[in-house]
Amino acid sequence: MNIAENPIFLTQKRLTHRAGVLAAILIAALIGLSLLSGLIAYLADPRDFGFSSPQDAGKMFYGWTIGVEILVLVIGGFSRISNVLANERKAGLWDSNRLTPLQPSQLVVGYWFGAPLREFYMSAILAAIGLVIVVLGRLPLMLWLGTQILIFSTALFFGLLAVLAGLVAQRPQSAFVFLILFFFLQFPSFTMPKFFLTNFLLPIYGIVSLFNYNHDSGADFANYEWSGLPQLFGLPIYPILLSLALQFLVGFFFWRAAVRKTTNPFQPLMLRWEAVAIFSILLAAQHGLIWGQWNGQFPEPAKAINRYNDRDSLLSIVHCGTILLAVIILAAASPQPESVRMKVMRLGVKNLAAIFSGSAVSLAVALAVLAAVVLLSQCVFSFANSWEIYFIAVGNLLTFFLVFSLLVEFCRLRFRRRALGFVALWLFVLCVLPFILAGVFSNAAIGKLSLLSPGIVALANSNDENLNYLLGIVAGHFGIAVLLFLGWQRQWKQLLARASAIQN
Amino acid sequence: MPAPPLEIEHLRVDFPEVVAVNDLSLTVGAGDVCGLIGPNGAGKTTTMRAVSGLQECTRGLVRVGGHELAHEPEELKKRLGFMPDFCPTYDQLTASEFLDHFARAYDVPDRSRRIEQCLELTWLSEKRDALCEELSRGMKQRLVLAKTLLPDPQVLLLDEPASGLDPLGRIELRKILLQLRDAGKAVLISSHILTELSGFCNKAAIMERGKLVMSGTIAELGQKMGCRQMSVKWRNTDDRALQILKEAGVKNLKTIAQGATFDFDGNADALDGLLKILVVEGVRVTEWRGTGDDLEQIFLQSGAKELM
Repeated sequence: MNIAENPIFLTQKRLTHRAGVLAAILIAALIGLSLLSGLIAYLADPRDFGFSSPQDAGKMFYGWTIGVEILVLVIGGFSRISNVLANERKAGLWDSNRLTPLQPSQLVVGYWFGAPLREFYMSAILAAIGLVIVVLGRLPLMLWLGTQILIFSTALFFGLLAVLAGLVAQRPQSAFVFLILFFFLQFPSFTMPKFFLTNFLLPIYGIVSLFNYNHDSGADFANYEWSGLPQLFGLPIYPILLSLALQFLVGFFFWRAAVRKTTNPFQPLMLRWEAVAIFSILLAAQHGLIWGQWNGQFPEPAKAINRYNDRDSLLSIVHCGTILLAVIILAAASPQPESVRMKVMRLGVKNLAAIFSGSAVSLAVALAVLAAVVLLSQCVFSFANSWEIYFIAVGNLLTFFLVFSLLVEFCRLRFRRRALGFVALWLFVLCVLPFILAGVFSNAAIGKLSLLSPGIVALANSNDENLNYLLGIVAGHFGIAVLLFLGWQRQWKQLLARASAIQN
Repeated sequence: MPAPPLEIEHLRVDFPEVVAVNDLSLTVGAGDVCGLIGPNGAGKTTTMRAVSGLQECTRGLVRVGGHELAHEPEELKKRLGFMPDFCPTYDQLTASEFLDHFARAYDVPDRSRRIEQCLELTWLSEKRDALCEELSRGMKQRLVLAKTLLPDPQVLLLDEPASGLDPLGRIELRKILLQLRDAGKAVLISSHILTELSGFCNKAAIMERGKLVMSGTIAELGQKMGCRQMSVKWRNTDDRALQILKEAGVKNLKTIAQGATFDFDGNADALDGLLKILVVEGVRVTEWRGTGDDLEQIFLQSGAKELM
């Protein structure tokens, strides 16, 4: 069945058209034409403007055009899809559609392409006006083509994420908040754009570098940072290709999750092998991007690729990113006690070994091992000098992953619906409070007690004395993990006992 | 021998704090309209959702036309129509567009004609171009029923279908259900308003706290209950008729105008025998029926009422 015959798509199209698209199209056209008229005014009388050339003016006006296009298509599209799906779930229409013989993939495609039709129309108008701006501004057509490909692929990527958010979130607004948070977390990576994966997953680097097609020297800091080819384990790669490849790979897992959740909403969002695969891909790509900084000889510089960079913080930031990524994956893969109880009752599995294999704790160990292997790539040729740093970082990752996964499951079992609040409380105590206390008592050593600190501090080129202290802290964190494990085990035993009692 | 349209075996559904459906087994054959009766919270809706595949079962089997839900959900979807207890409609679509959406989704042949048929069947032909948001709750209910009937399913699950209907709508719903029964469909219909179900259910299943208290044909259930309350009316003299009833050993015999009410302990055959005696003895019987509705009597005697 092609998309034009997809009932979900057709209905979404009907609903979009019935709600009216003309006003939205006219708004997009007015914005685009205003920008175009600005360029035409410059070309007619350049003296009134501060641009050095038609190309400069064209870049500025085209930049604004695609800015609006991104806002409409990526942000607006995400919001639209997640809202439509969440509302249809709430109304019972999603269930009605699921009961039809339509394939789950047809349902996903129908919402993915059908819900944001208004946004597609608006962006098509903006893209067409953008093309005129590019031609009038005597800019290369590759700029238009490249940016449009990247915007479209990003819209599809975020569209799939929105389908997932709509299928999972109780309130669609929460998905939007998540997106805003993601954009804010993106900002630190702008200091070293070529080295951070997020600038390629969201194709910011690709788009900006297309605008910098004619930079002729490294004198301009901004141009230098945002132009040239990034390297993946030393191999130069086109940023557009890297963005498309990353979006395709991650999008593939989003697609699988969306289809799985459509087939059966009680299925997990992420299978364990998918969690491992997505973590491996993203982590390997991230370490590949910064490989050229040390060429496997961390912490000694092998080759200073970027003279402007504060290299010392690079691996620490990547360490933070690794923790954040693992936290998202572990939270998504962590089983709901209720589903485990059902499984126990259905299959009659009543031992803790089965619980452990289905729990996110074993996944936490697997992710830590993967992170350790990938991190090794940064110091593989200097391991004799860096083994302490390496083990502190790996130990920190392992303890953090373990503590987080144990904490999430413990709180879900113990506090049920109030679990999120208690997880946030304990994460605050373990991760943030030491920094606050360090500030209050003007003692940096207290800040290092944070669950986040050992790896970050160690990877930021610490001295030997510091390393011993950090090793001690990692050991202390491991103690917290052990205590949590005991509490976690007790809670699962109680759940198993309850399941047995009900079954009998 | 073909498999029954709907078979449920040892179905169990667990919720966090409660067993919503516990070891429920039920068969609904072709031409059966089975009333799923129970107080609020008995597990009727959960049973329907579990049978349709919307609710995960802890244990048990659901087969539709011999196809098992767990292994052949796609086959099941083609053969089963589920009408939920609320009316999910696309507010900004017209009634015919709404049906068109589902007709396409079910790949219904000769779509336009079938949509018209279903609109006619549910008396919505005049509303075909009205937006769903403009329809009353009862009309939406009928529209969702039309949507359920679109693919001509073998099995129909109707969850409280008459809850939003006016008296006329309920009468018409009854007619539709009788048509479906005559067409050989298997219908499982839930309600806690027993008068809704009387008159067209030939089977009933009574649920209480997730468990099936009893099930079977109305006659079987009546027999299981042992005692049924009857009402009889006649045209000629009371005396002979009352004497016959007393001799038959009926209980709680009370005279009413040109008739009597009484409780009868015997089975259906014995009840038929009593009627025959009355007629043979020259009593001109003008009415012979259970007082209230049979389903109501059965339900009241089942013990499930305690929760209502």
